[in-house]
Amino acid sequence: MMKFLPIPASWFKDRQLNFLLGVNLLITLIALVLSHGEFAGIDNLQSMASQLPEVALLALGIMLSMISGNGGIDLSGVGLANLAGMTAALTVPHYISGDDSPVLFTVAFVLLTLAIGLLGGLLNGLIIAYLRLTPILCTLGTQLVFTGLAVALSNGASVHVDYVDPLSEIGNGTLFQVPISFLIFVAALLLVGWILRQRPFGLKLYLMGTNPKAAVYAGIPQARMLIGTYMLCGLMAALSGLIVTSHTSSAKWDYGNSYLLIAILIAVMGGVNPAGGYGRVLCVLFSATVLQLLSSLFNLLGISQFFGDCAWGFLLLVTLAFAGNVRLPWRSRTKPAHVAAPPPPS
Amino acid sequence: MKLTRFATALAGVSLALGAISLAQAAGDVTIVTVVKVTGINWFNRMEEGVKEFAKENPGINAYQTGPGQADAAQQLKIIEDLISKKVTALAVVPFDPPTLEPALKKAMDRGIKVVTHEADNEKNTDVDIEAFDNTAYGASLNEHLSACMHQEGKWAVLVGSLGSRSQVQWADGGIGNAKKYPKMDLVEPKLETNNDGERAYEVAKEVLRKHPDLKGFQGSSSLDIIGIGRAVEEAGLQGKLCVFGTGLAGEAGKFLESGAVTGIAFWDPKIAGLAMNNIAKMLIQGKTVTNGMDLGLPGYNKVTVSKGPGKGIIVRGAGWIDVDKSNYKQYAF
Repeated sequence: MMKFLPIPASWFKDRQLNFLLGVNLLITLIALVLSHGEFAGIDNLQSMASQLPEVALLALGIMLSMISGNGGIDLSGVGLANLAGMTAALTVPHYISGDDSPVLFTVAFVLLTLAIGLLGGLLNGLIIAYLRLTPILCTLGTQLVFTGLAVALSNGASVHVDYVDPLSEIGNGTLFQVPISFLIFVAALLLVGWILRQRPFGLKLYLMGTNPKAAVYAGIPQARMLIGTYMLCGLMAALSGLIVTSHTSSAKWDYGNSYLLIAILIAVMGGVNPAGGYGRVLCVLFSATVLQLLSSLFNLLGISQFFGDCAWGFLLLVTLAFAGNVRLPWRSRTKPAHVAAPPPPS
Repeated sequence: MKLTRFATALAGVSLALGAISLAQAAGDVTIVTVVKVTGINWFNRMEEGVKEFAKENPGINAYQTGPGQADAAQQLKIIEDLISKKVTALAVVPFDPPTLEPALKKAMDRGIKVVTHEADNEKNTDVDIEAFDNTAYGASLNEHLSACMHQEGKWAVLVGSLGSRSQVQWADGGIGNAKKYPKMDLVEPKLETNNDGERAYEVAKEVLRKHPDLKGFQGSSSLDIIGIGRAVEEAGLQGKLCVFGTGLAGEAGKFLESGAVTGIAFWDPKIAGLAMNNIAKMLIQGKTVTNGMDLGLPGYNKVTVSKGPGKGIIVRGAGWIDVDKSNYKQYAF
């Protein structure tokens, strides 16, 4: 466990993380002053924590696909999230009554949603690994397939999910004042972090993303790695879909159609290298919180959303300039530190 | 050095934000109008109504906001932030009414008054305001279309979004009306245009390619008519096709001039914005709307009140405005 938590001294080595933490802190301070403390009220904190997971889970998927290198990206996340939620919303009530056995209903709902996510990810992985399609093209295609399926299943209208207490708790409930959806997100974050840092899978993924050719000669099973990665992406999308369905007690094919670009923005601002081989979950987390803090701050002050978009863009540019990137010349000197970051499997 | 410059920039930003926050902090009663998407003419016009209301009621902080992108998720986030900001009342034009149910329920549980517009299926609302009966409006549009087509020929219906309930009701009202005329041949029922003028243009072009002998279009979203107008002009069919739909005179004017669009109908979003805010104010004061009441706004002089799907009521105004080439200039928005 000690190995898992990086010692504080090593934290200061990651310029990206320091920068993101600084920006988070700064925005929070500005928000506190401007809102006369209201920003730190429990209502607002809960509201922000429950808004964050939907898009941040998708960003984790983007991060995983980007790390795998070779132009890896998963554009199908939003479509898959909606399809997974919708399939469960349409199927489960037919077989299980939410009123009679709410727990069984919820368990079946969750499992079906996650299963669809894994299946969707498997499809992406198979196409990319065996048909050798560029990830961006493959996932663009599957995105349309997933979205189209969701439209066809629902005739384009929202699918209503009847109120079932345990299911509704997932998206709306709190545990010790912390939104359950946020706890799910934290669990996903820990899972991905654990896989990337502690498991051989993570080490192989970073190596494959850094140098695919070398990875092949090193005997890394590329096809299996790709399938695993995209299934993990699918799982993240399904979790996001589950939270959405529970949160809005409905599923709709076009919900969150603006999420894709935001998720990519979060990943890139979190220092994930779009060319592959580098990305930290902690940075992605703080990158997501920056965007959430900003957007909630703007809503609190009643500032136009267009200005919000503009601020996000500005922030991305500042991040790229100040926090540095693996590709900048002075950064390459410290590059080996990142590659060596995951400890060897014991 | 870099850091100093950065700090200066941030200080500048925070000063600007400070000024904005001071401007916002007028009055304890806050009514926020949340629209489907900001930056389109329809909701810009609605904002004029909200601003007029704010001017008439200096004690109330009333303003309009909405997502920059047409996405139910973004609208939901704004509403959640406003709930935690503890506004006094919300006036919402839902992007997709069912999506907002849990959030609006939360708002009402916390004592926030909720007024909705274009959402007569919203359960968690105090008052839903409809400019008119949607089916009757769709039928009226279609009656104009049928008359123009001499009650015969192929026609198509476009809707902004199949999830947008009122637009679907208009389309269904039109389709229902056309059943009176056996020679009216509906070839494309409810093609979706994503509330996007560009997409509407592409869809209309495809329809014209597929059915060269098409005689009429009925549009639903205010952008459908723009897309259809462009496609008709491009095909050189001005005056040969009958095109009717919801639209704004300011946007559709040039197509009415060229004959690419035959006629449009609309209600004034500014009045709707005023009505929503006025009713929100009444709710805050503990009053409610009753059948036959005069809200003091054109089209809302004798409102019909009926029970909504939830605990709230539905208030319907009377009348829409039909406009063609001859009189669209009277409505400059």
